[in-house]
Amino acid sequence: MSNATLERTRPRGRGAPPSADAPRRRRSGWWLLLAPILAFDVVLFLTPLGKLVGASFADNAYQRVLEDPLVVRALVNTLTISLASTVVTVVLGYIIAMVLWRAGTVTRVILFAVVLLPFWTGILVKNFAWAVLLQDNGMVNAFLQGIGLTGAPIPLLHNRFAVIVGMVHCLLPYAVFPIFSSLASIDDRLGLAARSLGAREGAVFRRITLPLSMPGISAAGLLVFIISTGFFITPVVMGGPGDMMIANQIDYYARQLTDFSGAAALAVILTVMVSILVAVYQRVLKAGGQHEDN
Amino acid sequence: MTEFRSTPFDRRQLLKAAALTPFAGLALSGCAAKPAESAAVNKTVTVTSYGGSYNDQLTQTILDPFSKQSGIQTTLLANTSLAALKAQVQSGDVQWDLVEITAPEYEVAVAEGLLEKFDYDIISDKGLPGYAKAEYGIKYLSFLFVMAWDQKVISDAQAPKDWAQFFDQGKYNTKRSVYNQLSDSSVLEAALLADGVPFDQVYPLDVDRALRVLGQHPGKDRLLYHAANQEPIQQLTSGEVSLSTSFNNRINAARNDGAKLNFSAENAVLAGDYFVVPKGAKNKEAAFKLMNFMSNDAEAGAAFDKVTNLTLANTPALSKLPKEIADTLPTSPRLADKILVRDDKWWSQNLKKTEQQFKLWQAS
Repeated sequence: MSNATLERTRPRGRGAPPSADAPRRRRSGWWLLLAPILAFDVVLFLTPLGKLVGASFADNAYQRVLEDPLVVRALVNTLTISLASTVVTVVLGYIIAMVLWRAGTVTRVILFAVVLLPFWTGILVKNFAWAVLLQDNGMVNAFLQGIGLTGAPIPLLHNRFAVIVGMVHCLLPYAVFPIFSSLASIDDRLGLAARSLGAREGAVFRRITLPLSMPGISAAGLLVFIISTGFFITPVVMGGPGDMMIANQIDYYARQLTDFSGAAALAVILTVMVSILVAVYQRVLKAGGQHEDN
Repeated sequence: MTEFRSTPFDRRQLLKAAALTPFAGLALSGCAAKPAESAAVNKTVTVTSYGGSYNDQLTQTILDPFSKQSGIQTTLLANTSLAALKAQVQSGDVQWDLVEITAPEYEVAVAEGLLEKFDYDIISDKGLPGYAKAEYGIKYLSFLFVMAWDQKVISDAQAPKDWAQFFDQGKYNTKRSVYNQLSDSSVLEAALLADGVPFDQVYPLDVDRALRVLGQHPGKDRLLYHAANQEPIQQLTSGEVSLSTSFNNRINAARNDGAKLNFSAENAVLAGDYFVVPKGAKNKEAAFKLMNFMSNDAEAGAAFDKVTNLTLANTPALSKLPKEIADTLPTSPRLADKILVRDDKWWSQNLKKTEQQFKLWQAS
């Protein structure tokens, strides 16, 4: 429907010319459109967050949790596991996005379905499926023993490796889509021009595709890292006791120790730590971008 | 489009109305909740337990017969936790009426003032065995912490007779699954028994020694941990481990479902859970009525004991049981000198500290 039709069918009230009246009214009431999301945020996000921060200052909670060697360990685990998962996810996601970008329509539809299917599957289901595959008498070990690569089962489950495998599987769609959308916006003619001037495929990728898809990569990296820091169930199902992350520690404080102020302090520590890292990351990216412009 | 002109709303008004809807919803929910609740007080009771096969058994043998007799409807939830109970009491919005917690958790909850005093005018204590009656709850259930095995790999004849054999890597080249927490599992006791400590000298628990033993036999890399009661069943039946700690009723339920598992009641650890009423529970009296039924109704109690192989704190039920069933119950006199009785008092004083030490040991 065109604008003209809309204009014609709009009800006219009290004989006033709508065209003169409309812009002013639009200006005065615009904030009401924000009201639902604002109400939602204030009631369901900001208020509980404020309460959480308030609770975290009770009973000397910060000192208490930071003196706990399990917490320190969980913080280190959270950072290293999240970083490793992010790197692997972005690299794999980039490869998938490249294939999607280059594929014909039918292949693309099929591949999208393959990428999206795990996205629609519950995380517990995905993790338990991996646990079945990776356990000592699971399919992967049976295969490795079958082809004679190993005599005894290799420990593939309940360790750091398994946690990263499980997390990468859940995180992949979050990397594929931003990278794919930045690849899809690259003008095909740039590659054609480069090749016509004698550039090889490697050079086209290094000097055109990769730099132009950087916004997608950095968005994917940021998104994946932030989601990684909050993982809870994957370390439980696929990790060993040495792979617990900060979310597991929060659960332990809240449920096992019933130490709510400690749990709140941990949540605040995680939020602050991730916020600082994200700020630094964006600062570095910005600096990198400016450097290239010069 | 002609009808549109005659409607009282224009587009902008409609958007305004839509924008304000959440506030209206909030206002309405505030008004509506109160009268509906007060009308239904003590006509229902919300019970919270551990879930899985156990919840089905509890419903079938206790809750349904209680509802039929009293007209009080019951709702059974599966996510019991002391933390959730504490959060409900502290926020003043108590959703649960009768909550199952472990014995050490009971002591913690009493110390923190989270529970209602039990009203023994409503609950007749005639049916209660001596160990069960407490000021703020009833230790309504006794179960056995046992060693269990996968019969597909380990035949009953080759099965471990004691904890030393259970942890012996030379005898069984398999991983072993143990509970990752200590509130209702007795893995440290098992380690001390494996090291030759007699039943009467297990407490006060030498935690360092227990962890040292576990670190040597079977060794940390041969231990897996489970975090829920139903998990060892899955680990055993999937072949991930061939030996696991578990509870007698869980293995029995799995066996009834056709799983090739078995357990030994000898050298087991006898422990118990409490039912408590959170402070400020909305249907306190209905909860006490349910407790009275649970502790005194012989038919329901016998059905429960029979189906679960657990002992309900309900003495009249015992006389209704055939001998072969009575002999398999955790509290059977036949087992008395073959099992360790868990020391709730020691655990209530040392739970947090020991739990922390155990976690740290697992992680390092």
